[in-house]
Amino acid sequence: MKHLLLIVGLVIGLVLLPMVVTKAYILNLIILICLYTTLSHSWNILGGYTGQISLGHSTFFGIGALIFRYLWTLGTPSYLALCGASISSLLLASVIGFPAFKLRGHYFAIGTLALSMIASVTVQNILPGVSFSPPQFLSKYSLIPIYYMALTAALVTLAVVSALTRSKLGLAFVSIREEEDAPEAIGINTFKYKVISMTLSTLIAGLGGGLFSFYVASYYYYVPFELGWSFDPVLISFIGGAGTVAGPVLGSIVFVVLKELFAISLGQMNVLIFGIVFIFTILFLPKGLIGIIGMVQGMKKSRDRLAKNV
Amino acid sequence: MLRFVQILSYGLLSGALYGLVALGLSLVFGVMNYLIVAHGGLIMLAAYTTFWAFFYTRIDPFLFILVVTPLFFIIGWILFKILFQSLMKFPEGEKIKNSLLISFGLLLIFSNLAILFWTADERAVTTIYSGKVLSVFGVRLPYIGLGGVAIAIIVIIALHLFLTRTYFGKAIRAVSLDHEAATLMGINVNKVCLVAFSIGFALAGIPGVITSLHAFNPAISFELTNKALVVLILAGVGSIKGVLIGGFFLGAIEAAGVYLVGTPYREVFGLILFILILMFRPQGLAGKRA
Repeated sequence: MKHLLLIVGLVIGLVLLPMVVTKAYILNLIILICLYTTLSHSWNILGGYTGQISLGHSTFFGIGALIFRYLWTLGTPSYLALCGASISSLLLASVIGFPAFKLRGHYFAIGTLALSMIASVTVQNILPGVSFSPPQFLSKYSLIPIYYMALTAALVTLAVVSALTRSKLGLAFVSIREEEDAPEAIGINTFKYKVISMTLSTLIAGLGGGLFSFYVASYYYYVPFELGWSFDPVLISFIGGAGTVAGPVLGSIVFVVLKELFAISLGQMNVLIFGIVFIFTILFLPKGLIGIIGMVQGMKKSRDRLAKNV
Repeated sequence: MLRFVQILSYGLLSGALYGLVALGLSLVFGVMNYLIVAHGGLIMLAAYTTFWAFFYTRIDPFLFILVVTPLFFIIGWILFKILFQSLMKFPEGEKIKNSLLISFGLLLIFSNLAILFWTADERAVTTIYSGKVLSVFGVRLPYIGLGGVAIAIIVIIALHLFLTRTYFGKAIRAVSLDHEAATLMGINVNKVCLVAFSIGFALAGIPGVITSLHAFNPAISFELTNKALVVLILAGVGSIKGVLIGGFFLGAIEAAGVYLVGTPYREVFGLILFILILMFRPQGLAGKRA
């Protein structure tokens, strides 16, 4: 109950924030955190819960951005265009993503990496130009609609993921992650659940892509297809805590803040530091930063118990 | 026709390099199920090492193989002790996953370190024979490429002989077949893995030297890792002899792509082939079904 109140309070606070804070810098930070939360949760559903490590999420992110920009410049309202982006990403996944499940374990990771490389090279060659937001939007550019869309996307994503963790579906995902052959042996159709996981994941990745395209006014068409968009969610999810609801959120906050801190002074330094932190989390903190909180709570509990016994 | 032969020969020359690029990755993956995707990053670092060594000494870059290889052997030794030794106790699937993730972090670190130190500019070692070609019936073969083929063949034969004819090589093969049985035969598995891992790193030095003779930049590390993975799958996991053939095959496929569609899509052909093979023949073209 206390948790629920806290979350509701936080959401209301975030919704009311633009009325109090007018500094564009703060809003930008929150938008970026929402963007990365959406993207890394999209990865987290497939990689964290279902255990299928994908290095190809930039493909789905990129196609979302591409379709969103296309629909939007045609005059579609942005929220509808966002749905379109999301669905287009799913369509792409059903063509190229689902067959990838023939690949097991690490083959899936390197196969999807190849996929994102193909997408990135192809888009660079077919669409070498720069994409712009529609002029009528640019003429009265404001962060507020972007802020609310980012918040909506992130909240919807979080709602979906937390519903997932409480459902049988989520359990099925986790069982595939833990051991792929065992659920198959007791009659769980693992392929079906992997497809469902991929569906959810790509829908959300497309959402993230659309958000990117709504936020960034002009970019080269290939930018949302860059490999970084595949790698960042992996780092964020593992550092925050893969297979948890709060992990990727925490990871995104750390990621964006680190990026801001180092962007001015050291440029590429943030990826470097993130890479080092990533290796250390894999080696020493398999549950990520969220795991530390859990550990601290566990220690407190056991200390309380000790105190009671004495 | 001449154009096709020309493109194909370029493809085969770079194919030899691809074989070399995959060699270390394939050895390590075969022996201890570590998928070191940082391999491309290592090759990129070796290329920079050669570049700067050449810049200051002006000695023939091919001679730096003798320096760079032991240097990367030591780097491999250190990294194994720090990062990868703790993974030895995991079951096979976890080993692959964790080594993949850790080395993926390393790959990001390497490429960003290189950008930080040496910027993202393209560089290349320019020797007196750079750009010189041998003309055979009108087909132009660059000397550097031919040197690369020669080195690739020598290195792969040497590694093959080492693995089949020496006592330690046999121990490495025994460990790659079965860790437990090897332990029971009195082989020190930890030591063998350490040495095999370091050899894998050392083998990144050789393609690094050859890469430095072509244009390279920090971003090449992803491309090289990718080539190594494609060749690894083409050759069949853990097959040392297959690596050279796999490399040539990839080079030929890319050449066909260049001939049919155009240079920008050179990589796409290799990658599509890669995904198809992963889906339909994951044991590799040459490998046997497990």
